[in-house]
Amino acid sequence: MSAELTSQDQQMALEMLRVRYWQHIVNEDLKKKKFTVPIHCAIGHEALAVAVSRMMEPEDQLVLTHRNMAYNLARAGGLAQIYAEYQLSPSGPGKGRLGSMNLVCDSKGVAYSSSVLGNNIAVACGMALAKQVKSRPGLVIVFSGDGAMEEGSFYEGLVFSRTQRLGLLILVENNNMSMSSTISERRCGINMDKLCGSVGIPFHTFRGNDLFEYAPTLKQIRRSILEQQTPVCVEAHLGSINQHAGPTPGWPTDPKNISLERGLIVEQSDRDPLFVLKQRLGEPSFENLSSQVLSEPWGG
Amino acid sequence: MMATYIATVNRLLSEKVAQIPEVVIYGENINTGSHLVGMTRNFKLERGGRILNVGNCEATHCGVGFGLMMGGATAVLFVKQLDFMLLGMDHFVNTYNFIRAHRERDTLGSFTIVVIVCNQGYQGPQSSFNALGDLCSLARVPGFMVTNQRDAESVIPREIGKPGFRFIALDQRLFPKEILSPDGVRAAEDSSVFQYSSGEDATIVCFNFSFPQGWTLQEKLAERGIKASLFSVNPVLSQDWDGIKESVLKTRRLVVLDDSKSINLLAYTLLHEVTRQIPSIQTVMLTRGLEVEFGVCSDQLQINYESVVQQLETGMAVARG
Repeated sequence: MSAELTSQDQQMALEMLRVRYWQHIVNEDLKKKKFTVPIHCAIGHEALAVAVSRMMEPEDQLVLTHRNMAYNLARAGGLAQIYAEYQLSPSGPGKGRLGSMNLVCDSKGVAYSSSVLGNNIAVACGMALAKQVKSRPGLVIVFSGDGAMEEGSFYEGLVFSRTQRLGLLILVENNNMSMSSTISERRCGINMDKLCGSVGIPFHTFRGNDLFEYAPTLKQIRRSILEQQTPVCVEAHLGSINQHAGPTPGWPTDPKNISLERGLIVEQSDRDPLFVLKQRLGEPSFENLSSQVLSEPWGG
Repeated sequence: MMATYIATVNRLLSEKVAQIPEVVIYGENINTGSHLVGMTRNFKLERGGRILNVGNCEATHCGVGFGLMMGGATAVLFVKQLDFMLLGMDHFVNTYNFIRAHRERDTLGSFTIVVIVCNQGYQGPQSSFNALGDLCSLARVPGFMVTNQRDAESVIPREIGKPGFRFIALDQRLFPKEILSPDGVRAAEDSSVFQYSSGEDATIVCFNFSFPQGWTLQEKLAERGIKASLFSVNPVLSQDWDGIKESVLKTRRLVVLDDSKSINLLAYTLLHEVTRQIPSIQTVMLTRGLEVEFGVCSDQLQINYESVVQQLETGMAVARG
């Protein structure tokens, strides 16, 4: 890959590195208790965040969950605005009235974020239906998770969106964690392929945290949703490397320990999209781009 | 020919939705069978509107309505039973709070839920939720009861299609009956209060779906020569109670009716405000009280009209000395 790095690839890689860098900055400031609002970092979600952001056209709308940081950062293209909202400043995209868990960025297509599990899929269905009724272009992308999909409203949303043939992309972030319990600790397995198949919704699985694989696949999926007028569901397996909320580490003996001093990569495994990126780019290119990002002022 | 309550409401609804471009009318069984006991019969939409019979997923219907509203569309959800809306409470509170915190009203489309309150009795323990005010209160959402021709003609054309969110609730007890057609004295700008008559001897204020009983009480008082002012109040945030207070100032007698099964009654707030500002008045509260029947029953607020008339007669005699 390193030999074939196009300028577009390089740009994508830079975006992902920046989203990680900005999340590190927030995490460091969380350690210093600089915020009054509860903040859920999404370290580990960067590949999907950048791939979704690059897939989106201006007419598309993004509907997020409480763990929306990586996505808002990818869409905003900078930390300053998002940081301002976390500080409840009127200059934030929510004018300091939304805080973290409900943060949106209307000018960048982030239309709704919900802190209630399963709440957002119905709202996304309504937004997609509004597009259909008003003959407006584009699709709605809604995020769910392996916890939120346990809610009855997830199933209702699948049925409703398929029945009305809505332009909806349902992205399930499977981080095998709901607050502090894994899937096997709280429920039986759910075969998403069969669940979606039972209501006629095409289904895809993403594994491996590879931005260069996710980005083109998502563009194809976007096209198929609009051409075939059907919702599509993607289950993306990823790891939320940070603590559920607040800083990581969350307490002195926390086994999770994230520090910007140790560099942008947090885990030397494919749970960390930056580790995957490094494998893809090769160490020299990765270090080059990382140095560039780390030297950029973020506006804080 | 007698116009029934439901025929009148249906006519007003069909006239209104036909005027709204690209309106989305949706709900369970709205375009088939009885059309929800006649509520949604003969809807004809023009200019890109849609009528959607949808599946049984009420929580989703509520979220979809807010999504449509955020997308600039006009949505009207028709619901057979107020109890079903308990499944949508998350959206009334959480989704609508987000919208209110973030979006200017003039950037929004419209979302109205038109819901039948199954208060005809004998529906069973799980079909008797009648306190529209409770839903409105927990989410600070305006709600409007349709109890007669005058409030129907005021509320339905004005509220459906308006930016923002509200409930309009219908009284199933009244569906087959001739619609009550009181004269109107005054309606508040926001439909929070309707005044139907003006009398010098007593002030009757009706909450929830107690207007028919308030109407009957007014007639029984008139038979005994007692002239009453009659009001009904909707659970709307900015209450315009000046007309009620002016009336009580004259009559010195306040009768409050509330047939809801809630223990948090807007009627108590009115009583508190009026008695604080106008001391030494006679008050009669006609409510369900703290004990209600949870099993199958007639499910009505029981009123001993003769007793109320006698209480007011006694009060008037005492006042005359």
